[in-house]
This record gives sequence, C-alpha cells and structure tokens, in this order.
Amino acid sequence: MSRLSAVRPAYWISGVLLVVAVVVPLLVPTYAKADPHLWGFPFFYWYQLMWVFLSAILVSISYRLLRAEERRRRAAQGLGDPDAPDADTEEAGR
Amino acid sequence: MGFMASRWRSAGHLDNLDEWGLGGRSFGTFVTWFLLGGDLYTAYTFIAVPAAMYATGAISGFFAVPYTIVAYPIVFVFMARLWSVSHRHGYVTPADFVSGRYGSKALSLAVAVTGILALMPYIALQLVGMQAVFETMGLGGNNTLAKDLPLLIAFAVLAAYTYSSGLRAPAMIAFVKDFLIYVVILVAIFYLPHVLGGWDSIFGAAQEKMAKTNPATGKPTGSFIPGNAGYVSYWTLGLGSAMALFMYPHSVTAVLSTKTRNVVRRNAAILPAYSLLLGLLALLGFMAIKANVNVKGLDGLANPQLAIPRLFDQEFPSWFAGIAFAAIAVGALVPAAIMSIAAANLFTRNIYRAFIKPSASPAEEAKVSKLASLLVKVGALVFVLAMDKTIALNLQLLGGIWILQTFPAIVVGLYTRWFHRYALLTGWAVAMVFGTISAYNVVNPATKKHFGGSLANIPFTNTPAYIALTAFVLNVLIVIVLTFVFRALKVPDGQDTTHPTDYLADRGDPGVKDLPEILDDGGAATAKS
Repeated sequence: MSRLSAVRPAYWISGVLLVVAVVVPLLVPTYAKADPHLWGFPFFYWYQLMWVFLSAILVSISYRLLRAEERRRRAAQGLGDPDAPDADTEEAGR
Repeated sequence: MGFMASRWRSAGHLDNLDEWGLGGRSFGTFVTWFLLGGDLYTAYTFIAVPAAMYATGAISGFFAVPYTIVAYPIVFVFMARLWSVSHRHGYVTPADFVSGRYGSKALSLAVAVTGILALMPYIALQLVGMQAVFETMGLGGNNTLAKDLPLLIAFAVLAAYTYSSGLRAPAMIAFVKDFLIYVVILVAIFYLPHVLGGWDSIFGAAQEKMAKTNPATGKPTGSFIPGNAGYVSYWTLGLGSAMALFMYPHSVTAVLSTKTRNVVRRNAAILPAYSLLLGLLALLGFMAIKANVNVKGLDGLANPQLAIPRLFDQEFPSWFAGIAFAAIAVGALVPAAIMSIAAANLFTRNIYRAFIKPSASPAEEAKVSKLASLLVKVGALVFVLAMDKTIALNLQLLGGIWILQTFPAIVVGLYTRWFHRYALLTGWAVAMVFGTISAYNVVNPATKKHFGGSLANIPFTNTPAYIALTAFVLNVLIVIVLTFVFRALKVPDGQDTTHPTDYLADRGDPGVKDLPEILDDGGAATAKS
C-alpha cells in the first residue's frame, strides 16, 4: 500500500503539469488582447513569451518527479542508474 | 564568403579525424541541446517566421511561439519510450519502429515514404534561405549562372562534409551556428528598438500596417492580434505543428543519438530557450515594418523572405551584418545535413533493405546511405534551381500536413497496439489525399495560385483551421472505426517483435545498444522477423 501511494502522485502530478503546459498556451481567447502593455509589448506578445518560461518550469518539475520515481522502480528491479555519473547527490541516497 | 568557407572547412577537418566513430559516441545533454536546436531551428525558420510576421502578422507568424512551447511537453511524454525501444531493437528510423511493432512492411513503407517526401522540400527551403542571404549580400549577378553560383558553392561544401563525416559534422557546426545566432539575435533585440524609436512605435507601425486594407482581397493585410475568427486558426496551427515537429525523421535521428533516455527529457525542459529566441526573432519582422525595408528582389518583385536580411543590411554596420549572414548560412547547412542523413537512413533501411536487397551487409548499407544522402541533396538543389521557389514552399506546407499523418502509427504505437495495422494504413492514405486536396484548394486571393496557405475551413463549417490537424482528426476517426471492423472480421494482426519492458529500458540494461552498435546492426527488426 505504501508503495502504491508513493507511485501514484508523481505520475498524476506530472501528467497534470504537462497537460497544463500544453493546453493553457493554446487558449487563445484568454490572451488575444492588447492591454495591459509591458515595456511597450502588447499583452498578446509578452504573455506568450512568459509562457516559454512557465512551460519550461512545469516540464522541469515533471522531469524531477519522474526521475526520482524511475530510480525507485529501477532500484527495486535491481537495475543501475544510467545517469549516475552526473546525477545529483541529494537523491542518490534514497 | 571566405570567412564562412574557412569556418566550414575547419569544422570539416576536425570531423574527418573520426567519422562515424565519434558521431556514434552517444551524445550527452549539452551536445544534444545544440544538435536538436540546430536541427529544429533552421535558416528557413529564421527567415520565414519574421517574413510571415512582416507580411501578414500574428496568425501566420507568431503562432510559432505557442507551437514551440507546447511541442516540448508532448515530446517529454513520448520520446523517452521511443528512445528505449529503439535502443533495444536497433531501430534508426521511425519506420523501423513501425515495422517491428506492427509487423507490416506496407505500413513501414508508408511511414518511410512520407518521411522522405516531407524532408525533400524542407532541405530545399534551407537552400532558399541561403539564397535570400546571398541575394542581399549582392553576391551573384543577373544571369542565371552567376545568380546561383554562391548557392552551388555552399551546396558543394554541405555535400562534401556530410558525405565524409556523418552526424558528427552537423553536431560540431551546430555549436558555431547557435553561438552566432544567439549573439546576432540578442544584439538585434537590444540595439534595434533603440534605433527605431522603441517597442511602442515598432508595435504601433505593425498594427497600422496589419489594419490597412489589402487591395487584392478587400480585407485587412494581416492580424496584429487575432480576432474571434482567428482563434481556431491560431491554436490549430500551434498544436498541429508541435505534434508534427518530432515526427520529422531528422528530429528522431537527433533524439536517438543521445546517451540515455533521460537526456531526451532533460532537453525537453531546456530547449524552450530556443522558443524565446524564436519569439524575439519573430518580432524582427515587425521591426522590418517600422524600418520600412525594401523587399524588392533582384527580379524586381516584392519578396517578404528578404525582410530580415535587408533589415540587417540597412540597420547594422557591414561587418556585423556579415556575421549575421554567416550565421544564417551556417544555420541552413546544419539542418540540411541532418535532414539528408535522416532521409538517406529511411531509404536504406526501409526501402533498400526491406524491399530491394534484404541481405545487404552493414558496409553496403553505409555506402547506399551515403549515396542516397547525396541524391537527396541534389534533388533539393534541382528543386531550388529548376523550379519556381513557390513550389518548394508549397511542398514544405504539404510536408507538414503529410508528416503529421504518421503520428497515430508512431506515437500511439508506443503506448498501445490496439490500432489495427490496416486501419492505420487506410487512415494514413485517406488523410494524405484529403490533406493534399484541401491544401490545393486554398487559392491565394492576390495571385490566384493554388496552395495559398495552410489554413482551410473545417468541413461543413466556416471556421478556418490548420489543414494538417483537420486531416489528423479524420485519420484517427478512420483508424478507430476500421480497427473495430478488422478486429470483428479477425483480419490477421501481424507480429509484434517488441516487449512491454522494451519501452522502459535504459542505458546499461540488458540488450540496450549504443548508437554505433545500432548502426552496425542494420535494423534488428527486419533481421528478427
């Protein structure tokens, strides 16, 4: 039971984050307007550029969640960590 | 020109030290970032996106930003699985995977042919991008031979270094290219608004131009911010292009050359740095409006493709414009090289080996691949030189529509094998025909030519949408319905040579091969079945 509850959240949260990163930038009516301006940029333009960052952050979080999850799975199966040489030490101890 | 040539040649020499051997060394996060960036953001992108902004505004140009934003979460989801299964089975092309997964030579051939068809005009457009630069630099005279000479030289360099160095060469040159491009764009973004009177006046000039009535159509010239009618066009263009992006065989080639499956995912998180670049670059199109550049070509006709080279030429000192042009020219060579390698792999693995000579040895395969990559490039060159440039543009537009139709077979196949192979084949065929006809029926109101754009009304509605996505929906519907039919009729399903654990395998696991072994293996799929 404890393993099951450990597995689920990582996949669910990643899934939701990735769906958000795909769907929100495509909701054109929510941002097809000129105001408010930012440094001379109409809202339409700076809002989409801002989503470049937000999307990158969402994907990074998903990546970290899934990587930790995958390591746990691989360790349980007795497989090594293929990213080991450049892996973060903080998570190696788990 | 000499500056560029020496750069190319030095990179070529480095690569000759160790041809495929080094290229086959599996790439880490850093190299992959450059390679994929060099691969996906091409000279054509750098010319065409701002050109579209210059000519018709946001819907046809700025959609590239949401497009590249949503592409990476999508890639994050499925590319790791493709990496794993390919490295366990020795797949090099998407068609290899389809062949192994569905046990269908016909479906694999369909995917391979689509890939080659979509790549050819793409390579041709890289040459078009270079031509725009050369034209602005004042290279080439009025007669045909002199006009095309710089292009021929660039082409020879491209052909020579790909032939001798394989994938290693573009990866090396991608460093140079991306560095140059970054410098140029950043300087342009900070310097030009200052010269042109600030962002406010740049956006103002663009808004004014887009609102003006176009005498040929009686409608506004373009869109500054999409109105109600443009919402669907905008997001379907973004989503459709994003889904198609990694269906292109050259993106798959680059992804498969990575060291571990996580390199792909890590890159999905850091590649958006290029999206930001692309967004800023698109705005250069608006700057060209404000700067009122002259876009008349040597033939006296207005050509928006010249907007960016002309803008640089007009606003920058000549030495800096020279660097910018070099960056764009090199930017055309990198993807053209990777694309021709990808197309050659498709031909060798999925046509030559699968149909013409199944017993081909690895050495023979390599030879065929090299020759095929040359042929592909010559084909692209003939496109550009012999035919109207607009034909290359039209075919590129069709290429995007076509390549998306391989999505169900490849991406859905990574998760489930429920789709029936013949259903996939039928769906693909119908969508290919539908997409081509729809695109043909788009008539440009000004020139009265066919293939006037990538948007068409969704059937039975008045809402324009990206044709590729409409065809894709049709494709999937057909596949689902026919899968039920074929399953009910118990039509044989073909043999799946992959195993569920293949999709999670990583480097160091039993049976997972590095790239050099994959290449020597000659496609395990065909060998096994």
